[in-house]
Amino acid sequence: MDSRTLSSIGLPALLVILVGMAVPFLVGFNQYYVLLALQSVVMASIALAWNIIGGYAGQLDLASFAYIGLGGILATMLMMNYNVTPWLGMFLGAGISATLAFVIGYPLFRFGIKGVWYALSTAALVVILHEVSIMVLGPFDYYIPFVEGWYYLRFRTWENLYYFSLVVLASIISLNLYISRSKIGYYLKAIREDEVAAEAVGIDIRKYKLLALVIYASILGFIGYIYIVSQRTFSYNTFSGPQSVYVAIIGIVGGLGSVSGVFTAALVLKIVEEYLRGYLGGVLPGLHLLLFGVLLIAVGILRPEGLSTLTDTLARKIKTRVRGGARE
Amino acid sequence: MIPSLNLILQSILDGVFLGFLYSLMALGLSLVFGVMGIINFAHGDFIMLGSYLVWILANNMRSDPSLTSIVTVPLFFVIGAAVYTAVIRPVLGKEPLIQIAVTVGVGYVLQNLALMMFRAEPRAVQTTYLNFYVGLSVVSVHVAKLVSAFLSLLIILGVHYLLTKTWVGLAIRATAYDREIASLMGINVGKIFLLVFGLGIALTGLASSLWMTFGKADPYLGSSFGLLTWVIIALGGLGGVSGLLASSIIVGVIQSLTMTLISPTVSLAIPYIAFIIVLWFRPQGLFGKG
Repeated sequence: MDSRTLSSIGLPALLVILVGMAVPFLVGFNQYYVLLALQSVVMASIALAWNIIGGYAGQLDLASFAYIGLGGILATMLMMNYNVTPWLGMFLGAGISATLAFVIGYPLFRFGIKGVWYALSTAALVVILHEVSIMVLGPFDYYIPFVEGWYYLRFRTWENLYYFSLVVLASIISLNLYISRSKIGYYLKAIREDEVAAEAVGIDIRKYKLLALVIYASILGFIGYIYIVSQRTFSYNTFSGPQSVYVAIIGIVGGLGSVSGVFTAALVLKIVEEYLRGYLGGVLPGLHLLLFGVLLIAVGILRPEGLSTLTDTLARKIKTRVRGGARE
Repeated sequence: MIPSLNLILQSILDGVFLGFLYSLMALGLSLVFGVMGIINFAHGDFIMLGSYLVWILANNMRSDPSLTSIVTVPLFFVIGAAVYTAVIRPVLGKEPLIQIAVTVGVGYVLQNLALMMFRAEPRAVQTTYLNFYVGLSVVSVHVAKLVSAFLSLLIILGVHYLLTKTWVGLAIRATAYDREIASLMGINVGKIFLLVFGLGIALTGLASSLWMTFGKADPYLGSSFGLLTWVIIALGGLGGVSGLLASSIIVGVIQSLTMTLISPTVSLAIPYIAFIIVLWFRPQGLFGKG
């Protein structure tokens, strides 16, 4: 990889970390805002993981919270019951989610399930896990007992976990940018645009779709623990169908395959959601989701490329400004 | 505990009745998908919206929920036509993902509208006159389910007649077969689409009226019925009422037996696992051709 590609992959990630680091200082370490920032970063990470299967490969996956729930609950329960550090647990979570993705994805792609049937199969997967987990976990909420320190990745205040999740987000951004510039990315985009043509030019479409699915699922299995800690609780409801649809909405509103678009959409929607919930949630629950529905319809009809054209122009402007500054 | 034979027979009977109602729910979706190729992810949410409407109407008119269909069917036809014109028509030529996204948006709006208006509490109609059992020798018949099953079958046969024996039906089938050639033969494809989408949604209005004779309205009903009706279509395959009826009854019976023999919490998991596996080996459905 030449230095130019390296910088185009590394710089945005570095920028996200640097700007993100400043946020707790800017809000005066107000725990409400730091938690909000943490939840936004986690949502952006989830949406950018979805971008690999949904954005690049064009498969409408509606199972994100199946993988988040499975990986996250595994890591959390290992910690609660066997005192296993999440540093290990998160990798095990990634492993189990990747395994589930492989088990589900292999036959799906082997038998050529695509389009609406793929979307429905993944939506059914979340419901199946939801119902099975009621039987396994029981119909209650689990609260994580208070433990503290880097060994558990849990702290008295939210800053440390926030910084950690920033690094995770930055890595996911870099991975997205790397994929989009690599052979895999070109193959996936070719599959998204025209599967028959992609197959005709010799792309192993099954292999690359499965690869995208497994990468996506392992990222989600990995960040599941952070998601659960940032929500403070888990239950069978962690396997949430509506939340999984919401992730896909962010990915589509942001623009399929656009890293800056999806990133912006995740942050903006999370902030709008929190604002509306804080001010109108008591009076009108669900208003923010209703508005997201309207937004999704509007994007679909008027601007199928999503926010990406807007954010891409902005990103290009910043880039030329930075480059120009360096030359002077 | 080994369940008695009576209990199993009872749950099969309930499942069959429920299956007929499911087939009515899936009929509109099947029409819209089969004729227009539109993947409607908001279908279940229309049933949910209808259930709340029926709840309001039946309680106010002090009538049985099934009678509210006089209002729900025409009203839902108009709503369907409006949604088609405002949301579906603009994305007709676009890629499937965008079409799905738009209908997901419609479903989101409906679901959260219900959440805002009715909160997350399930509601049941108080004035239902059919909600009782008649005991036969081994099983007892839930009259509301029997009536809704019978009416569902009647409507399905009626729609079948419309599609196979009338000029409008011929035009609809011609449009489904090849919309360009249909249009060259003088069929107004735009009008047919409007009619089919309106009819599809009107059928959910009727299904909600029947559902509320024994069921409950709930903002999350949409997601479960939405997926369930798609599963029925996947199992049944497109293009025939017999396949639709058979797969609906299979799903209804599996669901009912799961509730009795295993646990009500997994009543969807088993049909969905069956759906995924059938999709692998018979993408054309259990009863589809080709």
